[in-house]
Amino acid sequence: MTDAVAMRPARTIPLDVTLVLIPIAAAVVGLVIRYFAYAATVDDASLASFTDGICRWDCSWYVHLAEVGYDGFPTPNLSNGGNWAFFPAYPLLVGVLIKLTALPTMLVATATSIALSIGAIRIAWPLLGKNLYAYTLFAVFLLAGPFSIYFTTFYTEVLFLFLTVCVFAALQQRRFLLAGLFAAGLSATRIVGVFIVFAILIEVWLDHRQRGGTFRDFIPAVFRRPDLLLSFALAPLGLFAYMAFLHFKMGDALAFQHVQRAWGRPFGLPPVFVWNALLATPKDGFIPTASQVLGVTTIVGYILSAVLLAKRRFGMAAYSLVALTLPLFAGMASMLRFVSGLAPMPLMLCELLGRNRVVAVIALLAMLVGAWYGTVGWLTQYLALV
Amino acid sequence: MTQPLRQPVALAAYALTAILLGAYALVMWWVIHPDVPESYRAYYIDQTTTCMNQPVAGTYTLGTVVSFLPDGRDAAKPLKPCGWEGPTGDGTHAVGTSSRLRFSWSEPTTGPLSLSLDLIAVKKGGVAMPQTVDVLVNDEKLTTLNVGSDAPSHFDVAVPAGLVTDGTADIVLEFPTAVQMGLTVPPTRWRSIKLLAAGLLPA
Repeated sequence: MTDAVAMRPARTIPLDVTLVLIPIAAAVVGLVIRYFAYAATVDDASLASFTDGICRWDCSWYVHLAEVGYDGFPTPNLSNGGNWAFFPAYPLLVGVLIKLTALPTMLVATATSIALSIGAIRIAWPLLGKNLYAYTLFAVFLLAGPFSIYFTTFYTEVLFLFLTVCVFAALQQRRFLLAGLFAAGLSATRIVGVFIVFAILIEVWLDHRQRGGTFRDFIPAVFRRPDLLLSFALAPLGLFAYMAFLHFKMGDALAFQHVQRAWGRPFGLPPVFVWNALLATPKDGFIPTASQVLGVTTIVGYILSAVLLAKRRFGMAAYSLVALTLPLFAGMASMLRFVSGLAPMPLMLCELLGRNRVVAVIALLAMLVGAWYGTVGWLTQYLALV
Repeated sequence: MTQPLRQPVALAAYALTAILLGAYALVMWWVIHPDVPESYRAYYIDQTTTCMNQPVAGTYTLGTVVSFLPDGRDAAKPLKPCGWEGPTGDGTHAVGTSSRLRFSWSEPTTGPLSLSLDLIAVKKGGVAMPQTVDVLVNDEKLTTLNVGSDAPSHFDVAVPAGLVTDGTADIVLEFPTAVQMGLTVPPTRWRSIKLLAAGLLPA
């Protein structure tokens, strides 16, 4: 035995097991951190009240959807803001599970969110270049990071991220029909999910080029492949199914879009919103305002999209750019949630941070500390997190 | 790597694709032909109003003046179909370019009534924003009020007996000079007046 071999640490745990243990450990650590942050912030906090107590903002809409379903018009409380604004996939999934288990809604939602996060992490392994540091960071980001609230309570982001990872993992293996099936679920989860079809189209094009195809024979080649056609046709199925439901329920297939008016969202150009957000300086001191945090987050999102482009991950880059830009036409609200839940963003970030062991360790510690502050900020209604 | 599909499977895939595209075309047909109530269409689709006429009961005792300050929250709630926010400490704020009040009473009425309104106009950045308010009762315009920002103004608007024969008064306050408080604030959030009290009194 050479010295080098003798000094190499023996691998006692198989890789497959390691890849499962890492997200499970992150889930446990994240739960502990969030619970202690909750207990330190909320009066009369208890373990029994934890899952309900951490359900804030849109979470209560999802709980209502899972328990009761969609309201008709007029709404029971005569509000203009109907719950048709929220896409059905995740509340429907949790709604089915609470019917099957008869357990409290937030307990089921929390368990489902954590399970989906663990699934997303495991499936993302090849998308992270099979780098264990990046993989660990991604696990901590979702389950024990500053924005872990979105992926461990009852927010649609977790299913959105899970399905996005599934689509890109399928595309990486050139399993286009499978990607189309996951995309159908994605388009029933958030409206921007429908734009994953651009990523599928780009990957189909790249596959075509790899096979020696040209621009002129691309469309005929696609028409000769019914699996590709079906993949494209499946991608918006979730959206159209929801629209059909709204037609029968409300008489308005675009009710999810029309109801946005009730929230009084502004409409304008994304660069103007970002610029104004960055200029919204604090009245006292140097702590950035919520608007500035959202502005910086948006810029980070665009930088990560540019990195994706530079790394020639054209499908992810195109999808990220569309999914980042479209919500910006309605202002900066929720951009932190949108960016952190847009799978290519945390995947790229963790891959970059995971390239160096020292940087990875520092980032991991920062994420764990951030989990505490993210939870406290969430519970004390820090607006940038909404 | 995707393998070429076998012939029957390929045909099934083509057929499923065609069915999906046909279904999407049907949904798009529904998109351009919504079947919705008039108030829904006006607010959400055509956006011809910022005030969606909600079916509130309008429960009211004729001859009383209802406070739209926090102390009258419960009594005021069934009188506000749309276009109001609050009450806060300084009144119930009108939002949008029009607001509605609904009074529905069971007491018999024979003569004309008087609509009593206590209003104050908003300020923008500390600057007074005087408002003109058009008052419509049961779709008939009765008057235009000029409301200042310095102190609450009291108005009595004569309501002809023939306008309120069925014990219901649907009142629309239109705000043609409503103020956009910020560059990107949509019309549903424009500001105009604050309502302090309202009632229908025998003239």
